[in-house]
Amino acid sequence: MVQLKPIRMEEAARYLGYGTTKPDEVILSLMKECEAPLLQACHPAYSYGIFDVERAGEELVLLRDCALQLPGADIARHLEGCEKAVILAATLGANVDRLLRKLQVSSMPKALLTDAMAGAAIEQICDDIQEEIRQQMPLYRQTWRFSPGYGDLPLSLQETVLSVVEAGKRIGLSVTKGSMLSPAKSVTAIIGLQNMEQISGALHLNVPEEAAGCGTPGGCASCRFGASCGLSAVKKEKQGEV
Amino acid sequence: MIKILDGAMGTQLQQMGLKPGGIPEMLNLTEPDKIIAIHRAYIEAGAQVIYTNTFGANRYKVRRSGHSVQELIGAAVKNAKEALLQSGAGEDVKVALDLGPIGALIAPLGDLTFEEAYDIFAEQVRAGQDADWIVLETMTDLYETKAAVLAAKENSDKPVYVTMTFEPNGRTFTGTSIASMALTLEGLGVDGIGFNCSLGPLELAPMVKELYTRTKLPIFFKPNAGLPDPLTGQYNVDAKEFAEMIATLLPYGLAAVGGCCGTTPEYIRALSQAVRKFESEGAHLEKEEEKEYEELTKKREACPLGVCCASQAVFLDRPRVIGERLNPTGKKRFQQALREQDMDYILQQALSQVEAGADILDVNVGYPGIDEKEMMCRVIRALQAVVDVPLQIDSNDPQVLAAALRIYNGKPIVNSVNGEEKSLASILPLVKRYGAAVVGLTLDENGIAAKAEERFAVAKKIADRAALCGIDKKNLLIDCLTLTASAEQEAVAQTLRAVQLVRDRLGLPGVLGVSNISFGLPYRELVNTTFLTMALQNGLMLPILNPNSEAMMGVMRAYRLLMNYDKNAVEYTDAYKNYVPAAKAEAAPLAAAQKPSGEDAAAKKIGLELSEEAMQLYYAVVRGLASEGERLARQLLETLAPMTIVNQILIPALDTVGDGFEKGTIYLPQLILSASVVQGAFARIKEYLAGSGAAAESKGKVVLATVKGDIHDIGKNIVKVLLENYGFTVIDLGRDVEIEAVVLAAQKHEVKLIGLSALMTTTLGSMEQTIAAVRKAGLDCRIVVGGAVLTQEYADRIGADFYAKDAKETVDIARKVYGVS
Repeated sequence: MVQLKPIRMEEAARYLGYGTTKPDEVILSLMKECEAPLLQACHPAYSYGIFDVERAGEELVLLRDCALQLPGADIARHLEGCEKAVILAATLGANVDRLLRKLQVSSMPKALLTDAMAGAAIEQICDDIQEEIRQQMPLYRQTWRFSPGYGDLPLSLQETVLSVVEAGKRIGLSVTKGSMLSPAKSVTAIIGLQNMEQISGALHLNVPEEAAGCGTPGGCASCRFGASCGLSAVKKEKQGEV
Repeated sequence: MIKILDGAMGTQLQQMGLKPGGIPEMLNLTEPDKIIAIHRAYIEAGAQVIYTNTFGANRYKVRRSGHSVQELIGAAVKNAKEALLQSGAGEDVKVALDLGPIGALIAPLGDLTFEEAYDIFAEQVRAGQDADWIVLETMTDLYETKAAVLAAKENSDKPVYVTMTFEPNGRTFTGTSIASMALTLEGLGVDGIGFNCSLGPLELAPMVKELYTRTKLPIFFKPNAGLPDPLTGQYNVDAKEFAEMIATLLPYGLAAVGGCCGTTPEYIRALSQAVRKFESEGAHLEKEEEKEYEELTKKREACPLGVCCASQAVFLDRPRVIGERLNPTGKKRFQQALREQDMDYILQQALSQVEAGADILDVNVGYPGIDEKEMMCRVIRALQAVVDVPLQIDSNDPQVLAAALRIYNGKPIVNSVNGEEKSLASILPLVKRYGAAVVGLTLDENGIAAKAEERFAVAKKIADRAALCGIDKKNLLIDCLTLTASAEQEAVAQTLRAVQLVRDRLGLPGVLGVSNISFGLPYRELVNTTFLTMALQNGLMLPILNPNSEAMMGVMRAYRLLMNYDKNAVEYTDAYKNYVPAAKAEAAPLAAAQKPSGEDAAAKKIGLELSEEAMQLYYAVVRGLASEGERLARQLLETLAPMTIVNQILIPALDTVGDGFEKGTIYLPQLILSASVVQGAFARIKEYLAGSGAAAESKGKVVLATVKGDIHDIGKNIVKVLLENYGFTVIDLGRDVEIEAVVLAAQKHEVKLIGLSALMTTTLGSMEQTIAAVRKAGLDCRIVVGGAVLTQEYADRIGADFYAKDAKETVDIARKVYGVS
């Protein structure tokens, strides 16, 4: 079960346009003030299913025993070499939307900060879910979260994605006619699972600790497995990032 | 006799090989035999009610299936009937038309309208007319549930049963509480309510018990087979345990029991046996259980009048406060807000009353020149999107009340009906139909009677008529009318006496508009608080007052403490533990207003020559001192003209911050913080202008809208705040705005600038269409677009005049278009 944690303020600040600059004391204390009501409004819930990747063509990916078909070159590339795929839906719940509406009436600065912090919170929840999956399936490394609407994967897939994991019933997540998630602070994603036993050893061995994981050109930032492929060197880099 | 309902359909279908994400209702057509077999298995296990395989058979969910709702539901009902026939069950087994949530939410949660939701359910109800019952299950949104219940009741004469799905925190996903579900659905006249899905019988047991104390309707219970294992999906309660757990709850008003996810015919067989055993032998309760049952039954019998919004129920188990501020009478600023459709002002008034302790808000929008029906619905929709207290709908126009009651999300109070025949005949049936509570005013064709006994007689007449209309006495409140003490001094005692008579002889709680008592007198608060105390003592339960008056709220808190409502003085102590007498508080220095060093130079640089006080406001904006804007503006208005404050202090201060923002030395939150200080100052200035009857000088009008299909509007709202800061009048059309609405608003208000926002690539199409429609209408206005996915290039491509990368740039564009500084 994922737990609510202190919100990563650096991440929220990044959403607010601060980049790597630290917000001043006034803003930081206002963010702190917004944190408790936000955490109180959050009822994180998630639902996911893990499916075998059945056929990875150039423009279409099918999943075994699943009605979801994933069209497009980008998702095909994302899932290339992946034995399985996780279909994930997660949400902070409807109360957060309500809190944000209320704040937009009573205090726009707080609304702005809370909105960014809620954005950070849902990403944290997704990170935790990926960690949970990692613990269950330690032999698989995970790609980053690819969502409908990215690249050439149509946003209109949202509805089927939600239906595959019974998101309406299980976590109260639905989609609007315009394919937007409701509650708004929610994520749907497709995560590729690559069986590390099947990957050629050369890719992972004899890499200097300080190098980016497997030596992929461009390092972890440009790799679909991101900083989550399970290599110690990568882990170290990830810690440096946070 | 307790009815046995069936078990899971979905679980069975998955075992048959239904793929996740597939449409289960298709099987009604493609695999009717399998569906019939499932129904038969449940009937053979003892089910007396089978739910049709139509959970998601609505227009929205099946739109890509290639089949109509009529085909899918028609086939499903036919399959269920066929199962009855094959099993030889006959009339004993009922076929229930099973309707689940639409799969898309009503605004503000989603983008459906209440009326669209109604139509979707109405179509299903008509398609399933051959079924014996209508069951709504797994509902999570009270508003959607209300639409469904109305659709069911207005399109068929079948009994309607509703089960909602609750999470471990005792609320549905959308925040509906158990009490709110009970009050609202009981009011709407459904035939039974309860729970299904989400959790097992053990986890739901406390909720069944709570519901038992909140309703006398038959309770339906269809829990899951425990909780699923996250890895395997297997449920953790077996058939025997499942039946045993439910059996212990049977005394708590359970009238129909079955199973949801993870249950099979085996569960229903065990359950059926347990229920029959209970019916022949009674409950086997342990001593502790017996005690709990007795206590809850007592609580159930004593349940007082309750009203609610979706998230919060308010019970009249103690005197409660109705906030009076949402009312244009004698309030120039509120009148202006109504004329300008300024929802933000109205919402701010609402939130400040709730924060001050109002339990319920009265809403009155009757004012010459305002379409009361349209405005009432608009205000109610806006209020229920942000305010968590029940509303009292204040109008004497039956048409306004009918429209408002229909779209209200919860159980409201109607204010009011009176003893006139016309009023009784038109308003009481509405109260009954929509299940509201109602205030009866003790006046009739002869006006307001002088004597208490005569007012009592009118109250009695209203009570009798309400009873004839089938309105539960518990839903009636009486307002014996407060007359102004300065005009009719001797009437005060009569009002108090009438309140007492109504309490003692009719057992009905009193409502009074308190503030009216002191009209025309000096030091009104003193008269108001004294009268409030006297009235409470005489049976007033729901004073309508200004909760922002600390003195009035003080009386309420002290009264609740002294009369032992506020047990252990918890509420009182919480409110006053840090109480400092006003004289001492004022003596404290205002540190925040002190002038910071080194900022004079910054102000001088932009050529400002301002007084000390004016400089303080300037600094307050630049430094983002949120609470200072309103206070300093109030001071300055004593010596400076409103527009001087705007043009010479607020806008230059904002420009200073804006320059920093453009240079990258100041970030968006700081800019918005400064903007909110200006917003506070502006609120004060507007109030001042409204009071003096002058109109605020506008720099120009701008229509803002988040385009059709897009519900993310925080960016647009930030732009709005900043534009208003700079003295522009914003006509805010909201989000998910129809293309024609933008054109109409631009025409009507003769604006030179329209601002459109969109967050997603999918809604850029409707942005392009909106621009095309504005061009086609031949309007002489410019269009600025913004939003996360927009670029200058894209703005050019879809024919916008400007692309603004942020709120500040939108202001610069507006200034350019209107040629103002």
